[in-house]
Amino acid sequence: MADLSIAVRQVGDVAVLLPAGFINAHTVRDFEEGLEDLVEKGRYTILINCKDLSYISSAGLGAIMGLIETVREHGGDILLSNLQDNVFAIFDTLGFTQLYRVFTDEDQALAAASERKD
Amino acid sequence: MDQSQFRLVIPSQTRYLNLVTGLAKRASLVAGLDDATAAKVSIAVDEAVTNVIIHAYGGEGEHSVELELRFTAEALEIHIWHSGRGIRGDQMVLPDPKEYIKHPRKGGLGLLLMSRFMDEVQFKADEVSGRNECCLIKKIS
Repeated sequence: MADLSIAVRQVGDVAVLLPAGFINAHTVRDFEEGLEDLVEKGRYTILINCKDLSYISSAGLGAIMGLIETVREHGGDILLSNLQDNVFAIFDTLGFTQLYRVFTDEDQALAAASERKD
Repeated sequence: MDQSQFRLVIPSQTRYLNLVTGLAKRASLVAGLDDATAAKVSIAVDEAVTNVIIHAYGGEGEHSVELELRFTAEALEIHIWHSGRGIRGDQMVLPDPKEYIKHPRKGGLGLLLMSRFMDEVQFKADEVSGRNECCLIKKIS
């Protein structure tokens, strides 16, 4: 199994990015490129579904942080769903759950993204 | 004091990070820590070794990073040695999470995670050997 694989699908106006594996300093560039590719294509509302993400280090957090202002300036946002306990602990410990909208599952996140657009 | 320990030396390459974090997690469980705490210890070790590879060695992959895991009744200690650029304890400036959230940017979070997830984080320099050490301690409660 690869250290990290990334799938992307579009659900309405929301680009759903699914990282599978772990994100650390070794794999972060792939994750970063996945996010940057969406932004370059003008997909500014991004949901990162973390159901298959087993681990994220500060390198991965930095990749998200590096784009949050850009997507919000364009009226979009980065949302998170399906965080495993240890991944949630990282976001929560750093207070990032105040910066990002975190949802239990993808459907909730998509509904919230849809409401925001209305 | 009853103590057991073992050492691991890896090349200064990020491809070995997952091996080290996996080891740190398993070692934490062996030491008696619970799953959630073991995950936090493994993240702290990831951050410490990443700092060595990226910052102390400037991303050069031909160096080595030495880890020693010490198990005592009171704590799990993880000592990380390298010969690259060191950091002193008084140079360890932790970002303020509230300010970080107001002004998002890349970088600066590794030390914060290490300090939040471990009970002690120490940086030392050995002037005789010229090596630098980062010591992470998690107490067994």
